[in-house]
Amino acid sequence: MKHITLQNLARLLDALKEDYRVFVPVKKSESANYPIKKGAQRFYKEYDKFSDDIIIGEVRTFEPLKAFFVSAREKVADDFSPESPHSKDKPFALVGVKNCDLKQGFKVQDYVFGNHDLKDPFYIKNREENLIIASDCTSTLDTCFCLAAGNQPYPEENFDINLSPVGDGFIIEAAPTRRAQKFMDKYHSLFDIAKDYHLNERKEQRQRVVKKVEENIKENNIPSYDTLKDDIIKKNWESNVWLDESKTCVECAACTIICPTCHCFLLYDQKDKEKMERLRIWDSCMIKDYARVAGGANPRPKLWMRLRNRFEKKFDFFPKVAGFYACTGCGRCISACPAMIDIREVLTRLVKGNGKNK
Amino acid sequence: MEKINNPYRPIEAEVLEVITETPTIKTIHFKPKEPLSFATGQFVEITIPGVGEAPFTPSSPPQEKETMQVSVMKAGKVTEKIHELKKKDIIGVRGPFGKGYPVDDFEGKEVLIVGGGCGFAPLRSLMYELFVRSGKFKKLFFRGGCKTPKELVYHDETKDWAKRKDLDLKLTVDAADSSWKGNVGVVTTILDDVKMDYKKAIGVVCGPPIMMKFATKKLLSMGFKENNIYLSMEKNMSCGIGKCGHCRIGTYYACKDGPVFTYGQIKDSPEIWD
Repeated sequence: MKHITLQNLARLLDALKEDYRVFVPVKKSESANYPIKKGAQRFYKEYDKFSDDIIIGEVRTFEPLKAFFVSAREKVADDFSPESPHSKDKPFALVGVKNCDLKQGFKVQDYVFGNHDLKDPFYIKNREENLIIASDCTSTLDTCFCLAAGNQPYPEENFDINLSPVGDGFIIEAAPTRRAQKFMDKYHSLFDIAKDYHLNERKEQRQRVVKKVEENIKENNIPSYDTLKDDIIKKNWESNVWLDESKTCVECAACTIICPTCHCFLLYDQKDKEKMERLRIWDSCMIKDYARVAGGANPRPKLWMRLRNRFEKKFDFFPKVAGFYACTGCGRCISACPAMIDIREVLTRLVKGNGKNK
Repeated sequence: MEKINNPYRPIEAEVLEVITETPTIKTIHFKPKEPLSFATGQFVEITIPGVGEAPFTPSSPPQEKETMQVSVMKAGKVTEKIHELKKKDIIGVRGPFGKGYPVDDFEGKEVLIVGGGCGFAPLRSLMYELFVRSGKFKKLFFRGGCKTPKELVYHDETKDWAKRKDLDLKLTVDAADSSWKGNVGVVTTILDDVKMDYKKAIGVVCGPPIMMKFATKKLLSMGFKENNIYLSMEKNMSCGIGKCGHCRIGTYYACKDGPVFTYGQIKDSPEIWD
């Protein structure tokens, strides 16, 4: 096992800039950025040189990782040209990525964009080229419940390199892939050997964070995802849960935009003088016109139907077609919602509900 | 720049002819500049450059490989622009997408086609496919309805179809005018004289949601099996490849798993007729 000092990590990131656009999480206080919710948030920022606000460990960023793989707004066709509609000068190197985004997040995004007969060429390219330097969680947010969704608070899969913060440096670990091994060989002079006390510190730290997430789950009565198997959506199809929970919704779509598993988009065409371009823009099933067809028919005209649909997609559609839930337990939708709609509370009500309370 | 297999890129196509079918429906005959063939019941996305795209099931015979036709009802932003198209205009086309009618499975059976209004479009393509295989079906019925005689599409063609020996065709309108000699009433009122072994027969239903709902109910009451009733579902198909999310019906996407479904496949899904 290898170890890297903070100084050498800065050198490593400097070196990576040659081949990648490097993005690192930085911590910003609440007043400066997101006034609605309490506490500081972490945001991705393009790396230039090492600064004190860069936080490798701690918890997930505010934005979901999917933004680096399917952009919020991206050109996908340029007139009728068979050539690629855009080229990226360099792939991304994404640093400090947490397991909620990596394990469950990629499970869903890979299923949608990479795993059907018709693959999405832009997503596939980004998956192949982007470098992921993950990190253990070293703290939690009140909204973290990854363990209930089957994710550990430290990287398990889908990363190239992992950093576990220990002392004033990091244990650095490569995934068993050729690319990761090449990376370790290329930068070997920046690493030293991890000591036993480093490994012990990591072990204790992981145990501590796991315990904290378990406490979160207990405090908020979050059902284990095993208990969701009992057809909770269909059972509660006519329940008043949906109307109750959607009463405060302002249809801002933050819950779906911020969700690492939500993947819906709309194709939007625009014309520039003589040429047409087609854009792919994130969309949200919470928006009224989402499923509307020409002529005006809308299968989900009411907000509560759309809330129900959002949960149906995550907790009924995905387990039935893909065998897993489309929720990572990252809690982003809870902190993004200005109406205080809480996925944990909805799930608890669904598990308890018998569908007859309408 | 590198060439990629881009599922979002439309193929350029030239409009050859625009046929006014009814006051609200036009048929666009066009020629894609790259080869594009489809199976009957599959759909394509038609692009009006710079405006947007919308899904249509071609109404032309799938045997015609060089050109294609779509019959379009004026219903929104894109279809309004489609109605303004003229000969030689350039449009885009993507596809084909999804699964069409399993025509091979219809062979050796009695087949009843029920169409309503703009739902005649996919069925016209299907009819030509069935005509090519004439003699391979035990019996072939077509029952079609629309609001008024003026709104009947493919007027001359349905006259020719009525003369065919391999087809039993009957049409109805909700409200007649002086020109109409046929039945008056919704399409379910002209199904009772369809004599077949309902338990083994194939039913195909395509039309507005309300018509599909009542036609399906009628077929079920006649004894058709749930899995022998084929429905062509109208949903908000956009990407065509099961990624954008819009056209989900329960555990299916209309774009990649449909748009043709059996009633048995989707009957337990919510909101299918909405």
